[in-house]
Amino acid sequence: MDIGQPKRIIEIVPATLPVPGEIPGQVEPAAPEHEPSAPAPSEPAEQPAG
Amino acid sequence: MKGRTSLSAAPGLDVDVATEPLIAWRAWALTGGREGTDLMLRPVAGRARPWRPREIAEAACKSARFHGGPHPGCTCGLHGTHGFEVLRKTRCPAVLGRVALWGRVIEHEYGYRAQFAYPQRLRLICQFCFWMRGPRADRPELVGWFPKDELVPICGEHLTLAARYGMEPRNLLDAAEVDGRLRDTYVVDALAV
Repeated sequence: MDIGQPKRIIEIVPATLPVPGEIPGQVEPAAPEHEPSAPAPSEPAEQPAG
Repeated sequence: MKGRTSLSAAPGLDVDVATEPLIAWRAWALTGGREGTDLMLRPVAGRARPWRPREIAEAACKSARFHGGPHPGCTCGLHGTHGFEVLRKTRCPAVLGRVALWGRVIEHEYGYRAQFAYPQRLRLICQFCFWMRGPRADRPELVGWFPKDELVPICGEHLTLAARYGMEPRNLLDAAEVDGRLRDTYVVDALAV
């Protein structure tokens, strides 16, 4: 596939990676002062390799 | 955020800095099991590494292992294009989509070569309809399963035509079902066009 001549270089360091389950730098929320009345649905933790 | 620096490895090319991934067009080949399981996007050309679900695709240069992809003086890197017209010349595409690119990205006249990538929107295409009419052609009705786990989305008209030339799949799957399974596998949305 011919994409022509190179024009410039872009160094992209995204704040959030566009990959499911991948949120680098995410800080764990502080524990609530009171227990919630109903348990929140939990999602399985995903750790994409690469 | 944007800024300009100099890069000794790429004389003559400006270097910009950004914090948002670029979104480009891309086509893939598709492999999977006889019943449409274990779906995997693969580059349409060569034997480059597959794009694994839920994993960041990372460029690797096979022609010169002493540099990381993409290198300004090479053709390595994960390719994306500014428009889909360039992709109509691609050999045997099965999936069309939008892809996010980041890391070191080299912008070319008609597309990009990137260090990291992950698909954002996907849809199956009949390669023959795509060649003739672009992405707004009718959606494929079936997916043919071929030896080496190759999956080929195809419309009814072109399935009949392909059979005349000896291109007969070992199994036929419902394209809408495979399309949905592909998006679930990669956790992406449907391509609107």
